[in-house]
Amino acid sequence: MNRREFLAASSAVALAGVAAPFPALADVPKPYDWNAYPPMNTRENYIAWMVENRGEDPYYLGQHWDRYVVLVANRDLLDDRNKRAFLLVPREEFVLERNLSRAYEHAFLDIGYGVTISGPHLVGRMTTSLDVQFGEKVLEIGTGSGYQSAYLSNLTDKVWTIEIIAPLAARTRSVYDGLIARGYNEYTAISSKQADGYYGWEEAGPFDKIIVTCGIDHIPPPLLQQLRVGGTIVIPVGPPGAHHVLKVLKEQAADGSIRVSRTDIYDGRIVPFVPFTKLEGDQIVGDHNN
Amino acid sequence: MPDTASSPTIAGARTPAPSLLLYVAVALVAGAVIALQLSVMRVFAVGSWTHFGSFVVSLAMLGFGLASAVMSLSSDWFVRRWRGVSATALIAMGPLMVSCHLIAQQVPFNPIFIVSDPAQKWNLLANFLLYFLPFLAGAMFIGTVFLKSTLIFGRVYFADLVGAGGAGILILLAMFVFPPADLISVPLLLWFAGGLAWLSWTASRRGLVWLVIAAVFSAIVHFALPGWLGIPSLSVSDYKGIAYAQKFPDATVVHDDVSPFGDLSIYSSSYLHFAPGLSDNAAFNIERMPDNAYLGLYIDGDGPGGIMRELPPEQTVYFRFLPHYYPYLLKEEPETFVVQFGGGISTAVALRSGAPAVTVAEANPAVLSAFRADAIRDFTGDLIDDPRLTIIPYEGRLFLASTEERFDIIDLSLADSVGLSSPGGFAVVEKYAYTVEAMRTYMGALADGGILSVTVWNKEDPPKSVLRLYATMAEAARQVDPDGVADSFFVSANYLSTATVLYKRGGFTPEEIAVLSDHTYALSFDEIYSPGFVVENADPTVLDQYREMIFGTGEADPVLAAPAGDPLLGVPDDPLLDPLLDFGAPGPAVLPATMVGRLAWQALVADEWDGFSERYVFDVEPLTNNRPYFAAYVRPGDLPKTLDRLELFQDDWGYLAVWATLAVAGVTALALLFLPLIFGWRTIFSRYPGKFGVLLYFACLGIGYMLVEVGMIAKFVLALANPTISAAVLITGMLIFSGLGSLVSERFLDRSRRVMPPIFVAIGVILIGYGLLLDPVLDAIGALPYVARLVLCILIIAPPAFLMGFPLPTAMAQLGLLRKESLFIWAWGVNGSFSVIGSAAIPVLATSFGLGAVLQFAGGAYLLALPAFFAVLLPLAPKLVRAPA
Repeated sequence: MNRREFLAASSAVALAGVAAPFPALADVPKPYDWNAYPPMNTRENYIAWMVENRGEDPYYLGQHWDRYVVLVANRDLLDDRNKRAFLLVPREEFVLERNLSRAYEHAFLDIGYGVTISGPHLVGRMTTSLDVQFGEKVLEIGTGSGYQSAYLSNLTDKVWTIEIIAPLAARTRSVYDGLIARGYNEYTAISSKQADGYYGWEEAGPFDKIIVTCGIDHIPPPLLQQLRVGGTIVIPVGPPGAHHVLKVLKEQAADGSIRVSRTDIYDGRIVPFVPFTKLEGDQIVGDHNN
Repeated sequence: MPDTASSPTIAGARTPAPSLLLYVAVALVAGAVIALQLSVMRVFAVGSWTHFGSFVVSLAMLGFGLASAVMSLSSDWFVRRWRGVSATALIAMGPLMVSCHLIAQQVPFNPIFIVSDPAQKWNLLANFLLYFLPFLAGAMFIGTVFLKSTLIFGRVYFADLVGAGGAGILILLAMFVFPPADLISVPLLLWFAGGLAWLSWTASRRGLVWLVIAAVFSAIVHFALPGWLGIPSLSVSDYKGIAYAQKFPDATVVHDDVSPFGDLSIYSSSYLHFAPGLSDNAAFNIERMPDNAYLGLYIDGDGPGGIMRELPPEQTVYFRFLPHYYPYLLKEEPETFVVQFGGGISTAVALRSGAPAVTVAEANPAVLSAFRADAIRDFTGDLIDDPRLTIIPYEGRLFLASTEERFDIIDLSLADSVGLSSPGGFAVVEKYAYTVEAMRTYMGALADGGILSVTVWNKEDPPKSVLRLYATMAEAARQVDPDGVADSFFVSANYLSTATVLYKRGGFTPEEIAVLSDHTYALSFDEIYSPGFVVENADPTVLDQYREMIFGTGEADPVLAAPAGDPLLGVPDDPLLDPLLDFGAPGPAVLPATMVGRLAWQALVADEWDGFSERYVFDVEPLTNNRPYFAAYVRPGDLPKTLDRLELFQDDWGYLAVWATLAVAGVTALALLFLPLIFGWRTIFSRYPGKFGVLLYFACLGIGYMLVEVGMIAKFVLALANPTISAAVLITGMLIFSGLGSLVSERFLDRSRRVMPPIFVAIGVILIGYGLLLDPVLDAIGALPYVARLVLCILIIAPPAFLMGFPLPTAMAQLGLLRKESLFIWAWGVNGSFSVIGSAAIPVLATSFGLGAVLQFAGGAYLLALPAFFAVLLPLAPKLVRAPA
């Protein structure tokens, strides 16, 4: 099958929207390029580009694009670098097999061990708010599915992640290794370990940004100590699927003392909640129970 | 007592004479049903979350409605085949109990995903259907017995109530012996004993053989099968707090204990870290947090709460960065009272902060005995026996109400909340330690210049529970001294962490306020209120913005409303329309949640709370003994608007679940009721006059009885200080006294037209009176020794319970005497179905109108039953003559 035939077939399948997932495609055809942006104008262009450059399955790419459109409309992604990062991470690789058909739904999903993969909106919102610049050092506490660090590795080339639950840490490490073997070279930027995230990763610090994705009754002092002055920590507060994200800024006051200020990811703006599935593509369609 | 020759007998030929065996069988099976209900509730409390258990179990009780619907349509058939039906239903009940339970535990129902994952709704339905089956079997048995006992109904009903009541106390005692997974042994044993009695009475040898086979099968299914198949007999959600501790590589259980006060376990792991509400600034002032300083305490799998190691003085510096420390800034060598011991952090802070003597209350005996266990004693440096400590083994609220002692500091800090969110939502639970009445008690127990310090979690945005706390404390202070409110409070909060309210008897001095303000700044906390505080840049629109944030339709949203229709391009450039357009620029100087807290105190001090709370997005009225809930924040009128955004209310799911239970119970129960009416309209019911009166009568009794029973359980926690004991006392007391009433009612059957009206009036008056007057009485009883409390509580229950035993058997017996068998069994089903509606309605009524109103509604229901009673007495119309409805 030549490429044109392949694309035609893929598009037809994607448009039909009912086909079963394609069998796993070949390795990533082109090396990772920090300057390469997938098209952000139309669904077709995006799918074509991704198939050509990343060798991904058009079935999921279609869903990926549709969720992307809702994320942008919901203002969960506010800049091109974050849009690029969201578009480049194959979320279907980070969910359990039984949830594959729901990989791009707005909701958080179970990944075993009492851990969830956060919904794409929350990930987009939190990471956008963290404002990671290329080259910054980012520490993630709570590797979980690995999706968050995968996303971060498209924003910077220095990512550390710690998971407390040993079997989950091992499973996610093997997901990364599998993807790297298939050519997702960006994930080589992720250093992972199984440990108690409370103590951070002292040898690798200080960090510019820290993202915590597990429940706590206080912010671990070691994390605040390993955060560079001027750095930011974001932490979702509440149950899985929580809508509050705490943002902590470490600053130096005029008198030289170190101070910490707390805000939310909108820096105190009240942003109305919009039921996600009222927004499917460019249409408002009922609520998510219907 | 009538002698045997003239005693009423069960109708029909080949029926053995009623003997003790019959009554014992009914009592034991009725006991098995209640015991099953309570043990399944425990399974849900430990495996997932209580309110999902209430949902499943209360609906499963509709088995009584379905049994009655089926039986009333073909009552003749059931009367003829009563032996076979009763034996089959009874023998099936045991195996159904254990196998349905075991299968239900394998259904991957995960409440966390109930909103987001469509499959979970089917799993919930499967849970309901599975638990429904054993109740259906039990109901078929009891219904058949009732149908055959129309002439001796009062006695059979007495046996039914006494059996059910006895099971209440039995299951309480069994909780000391069996872990929740094996509690089902109790209903199983009761079932087996009941089966033996019944089949001996009916002299069914074949039945006895089958019963033994069923019992062996049940024992194997419950005790052996899970081991053989490697499946859990109680599966604990991966999202319960304890499930995480179990996954820590170095986790070990250092103490565990089962009792009616909860399934308590204490874990040790280096991965457990606590410092509830710690200031972020501690990181820059403390070299290193102490290692392995805590054990994790879990009750029913929820937690952890932290139990702290005895720390050397140099490591306790971090206490100064906890919100608990506030009152010690102003008090040297204070006589201190800690309202709830919990994991002991408040107590440790007090002892390390110069308190020469600390009195500490803990109402949960399981917690106290854990601290006396060797492993915990060693870990905590024998904290519990510290000579400076006095332990009060019951609620602090009750102790302070009756003591002459006065304290310099009274502390209620993060007492019974484990801090982290509960992924399945919080159940609707009475919090009597936080009501206006309790706060007045605390304030009254302060020495001159004493400080009450209350810290709660502040994890909500928009704020909910903190606003209720503020309103409650301000209201209590106003009742104590109407002019002192403004000067008596200092309030600080840390965003998405904790909030602390300090109340000083006699008011703070400016110097003290300066100390507190400096400390607040040093901790990077936000000052919410202090005497003379002026809200800078006050922005009252924040209240409306929060309403829009939660309940906005999205239609005013600039992107959704963009005419271009292209969400990728349609973002308008008017920053007023799009709050995120200037993202990256600094936001408002004060966070909205902080602003709301300040505006709240402004309103409270000016005594303008009504105006504030009406405008606010959530119900933030103060907690009172009548409405003691940190729950039910969504106003009933806003409930429909939650349906497309349930994930926003995950912590309120316990409350939303009570509405869902009421709605589903209401619809299902009515459907079950009207099935016989629809299918039997021409054939059966047309001959019965006054059927709607009968419907009303039994509906009122069903609702009324449950409202009293369950409503009083919640009320009596005020005096008994423990919901489990309160439930056992109420269930047992109510049912046994009602059983006695039922037995006595038989003597008045021929005079019921005269006797019943005053009884209804008496019940109505007592209940309405209780609704109005019980609170202070229970409060006063709470100060007495425990045995006296139990006795007095039972004396309070006795009169209404006894009288409430009359109406149902009297009317059932009348229907039997009038030979209205179909109506008889239908009426029993009406009563059962409306009991389910009643029990589902209680949390809704209690959170909306208060617990007093629950009793008043019940009183009203009994008064309404009075005129309807005369419809029951209408004689059967002759055939072919259409009777008036």
